[in-house]
Amino acid sequence: MAALGARWLLRPGRRWFSETVPGTPPPSVSPLYPPVVASITAKSKSAKLRRLQRFKQRVHSAATVEEKLRLYGKLQRPKYTVYPQTFALNADRWYRSFTKTVLVPGMPPRAAAGKPPVAPAETTPKAGRAPEPGAEALGAAGAPEAAKTPGPAAGAMPYLDIGELRSLACDALLQESFYQKKKRPFLYRDQDHTPGPFLTQLVSTLAAFLSGRNPLLAASSLDLNPEVNYYWHHGEEVVVHGHRKGRVDPVRFQINDNPHLQIRVPKQLPEVVPLESDLGDVPVIDHKPSKLPLFKKQYENKVFTGSKVADPCCYGHTQFHLLPDKLKRERFIRERLEDQIEVVYRSNGIASLFAWTAAQAMYQGFWSEADVTRPFVSQAVVTDGKYFAFFCYQLNTLALTAETIKNNPRKNICWGTDSKPLYDVVEDGNVKGFNDEVLLQLVRFLLNRPKEL
Amino acid sequence: LFAGVRQAQWLTKTKLVEGLPPAVQGIVDNPAHGFQELEERVKHAVSHARLWDTTEVAPRREQFCPVLFENLMHICRLMAGKYPSLSKRMLARNCRIAATWERESILLQVRGLSGILMNSMTQIPPVASKEEILATKEHVLETFYPIAPTIDLQEVNVYKELNDTGQCFADGYPYSHPHTLFFLESANVRTDRFRPEQLRAKMLMFAFGNALAKAKALHGNDPKVLEQPVVVQSIGTDGQLFQFMVFQLNTTDLVSNDGVKNLVWIDADQNLYEKAQCVPEIKKRVVTKPAGISGFQPDTFKKFLALYLHGTV
Repeated sequence: MAALGARWLLRPGRRWFSETVPGTPPPSVSPLYPPVVASITAKSKSAKLRRLQRFKQRVHSAATVEEKLRLYGKLQRPKYTVYPQTFALNADRWYRSFTKTVLVPGMPPRAAAGKPPVAPAETTPKAGRAPEPGAEALGAAGAPEAAKTPGPAAGAMPYLDIGELRSLACDALLQESFYQKKKRPFLYRDQDHTPGPFLTQLVSTLAAFLSGRNPLLAASSLDLNPEVNYYWHHGEEVVVHGHRKGRVDPVRFQINDNPHLQIRVPKQLPEVVPLESDLGDVPVIDHKPSKLPLFKKQYENKVFTGSKVADPCCYGHTQFHLLPDKLKRERFIRERLEDQIEVVYRSNGIASLFAWTAAQAMYQGFWSEADVTRPFVSQAVVTDGKYFAFFCYQLNTLALTAETIKNNPRKNICWGTDSKPLYDVVEDGNVKGFNDEVLLQLVRFLLNRPKEL
Repeated sequence: LFAGVRQAQWLTKTKLVEGLPPAVQGIVDNPAHGFQELEERVKHAVSHARLWDTTEVAPRREQFCPVLFENLMHICRLMAGKYPSLSKRMLARNCRIAATWERESILLQVRGLSGILMNSMTQIPPVASKEEILATKEHVLETFYPIAPTIDLQEVNVYKELNDTGQCFADGYPYSHPHTLFFLESANVRTDRFRPEQLRAKMLMFAFGNALAKAKALHGNDPKVLEQPVVVQSIGTDGQLFQFMVFQLNTTDLVSNDGVKNLVWIDADQNLYEKAQCVPEIKKRVVTKPAGISGFQPDTFKKFLALYLHGTV
């Protein structure tokens, strides 16, 4: 009251002595007392809110992205380690609920102009999958059907020779499995012996072959066995035991992933659907994550896409994952869990791609309080050497913490296919039953690029 | 090998020529290949390998040496957009090589893991002209008396004289011609790595082994002067220093000291960059050395690319 009285007395004094020009606002009176806000150090809920706010302010106003990442992951507490390659049953449902992802089966529809004209022409422009294998005669006979190829821009590009691509793939396969004499594979390390080198060879030769058509590939960077890490909060829980017992804490997750190969590019892939689209539902699981099973550990909170922030190739294009021996199909069939085979591929695709796209978004300065303003798109191929599954992920939101998720209608979207074999068997220097469809999908993945290029 | 390249020369009956052969030098100097745009990308590749590839502060040599090699190979392979015949190459890792030959009544053998081998479908054309090959007849191999030429070689009882790169690859392999061998010295501790001289000698021995095995596969086991000399290239590096070598096998007649000799062109100790600073060096609150790659030499990568393109361009 005294303050109000003083101000009331001061005001007429001001009007008395100075001539206020009409239109200028009255000079603001600085308050005599500082604003009344909650304390910083008290043991109260409002103090906790104020501390959180100060922390968010610090992160918002960090000068560089490295500083932001350092502050974001500064506090170390026990967190769930999420493994993309896991044998847990129905892991993909759990991972979708952790990352607020919608799974859409099949591949995303692509615009007609973006698709490469292939010598056997596509039947419909909007079809997400390749034409039926063996239905069209390949090679020279495809010329009359080529007239049906859609898109005016397609006329300028020379046709992709599927025969050449097939020969490249077969050569890589034969070299690794047949021609090059290697010692016997180490125990339980079958994947390092043949499918690993085959995948490396295949991707490097295909990328080199297609770099003429895709200028984004020509400026890309190929990583062998990189590291991809991401740390995030989602949901809330009560601390069960320890000196912090009874407090409400966010549930922390960390993904530490090692894809077999990854291609990083300097420009971002175009968005597949608009930012706010809703293509399905996110599964809600009422149990604690430790029921999956998922275990807690406390260690460094890392956010890493594959190279540091200073790298110009900061956006992701395609990742290639190799499933380890532990998760091979025969093992699942032996234990009568055939339906879990696809779950393995899906959970790997969702978790790895979420970690990669979210880390890319953090490298651009977005985080859970500063949500992404444009969608981040990346692709992945999960394989065990013979069966290939393709995934495309669009990150629409990073806001997964308990408070930011309340008013957030956006969901992340993952398109995924089932696993299909690339070939049947390799015998005597011949590859039998080669599946062109899978190769074509792989080629389409590699040729994906922003519309300007 | 103790005396390095000189000893290897005697063992393989080779004449040394300094610098790269004129064919390769021609590719380096040819501006049509667009080396300028690649400079920026090579700098990024080096920075990625040396600075950015790890969550720790600085990657160790075991990590950055292979990563640098992969990055450079990726840039070279992307040139296949311009030269489609480059796609006829295949990399083979961890292949074992075995070759045997006699040298003045001493039986010598080269065996072991020969690093990374790149094969191609077509053979590299001979680099030296016929006159140069004949001129090597006059060249006398230098010996280093009183040290015997076989010093430092392991004496082993050989029960089977093995003789093929077919040890590595089965018959009917479409990429049958060894093109380039790559050696990466990536041990963390300096004493585990080969010194440049020894690395060059190792490169020479393995290139010779590959060439000899290929020649014997093509022309049979009899020692003779080859009509079509076999050319094998070799690049060795420890992540910073590069050694380039082109070896041409002119003869498989290695028992005597006279006659036509083999030829090798060596371009030694090419630095790709001077120093890679991960954290800026600060003395007394002043930044003396900023973080980044300093002293970048684009010529070294040009030679790398030229050796890669040799044979298809």
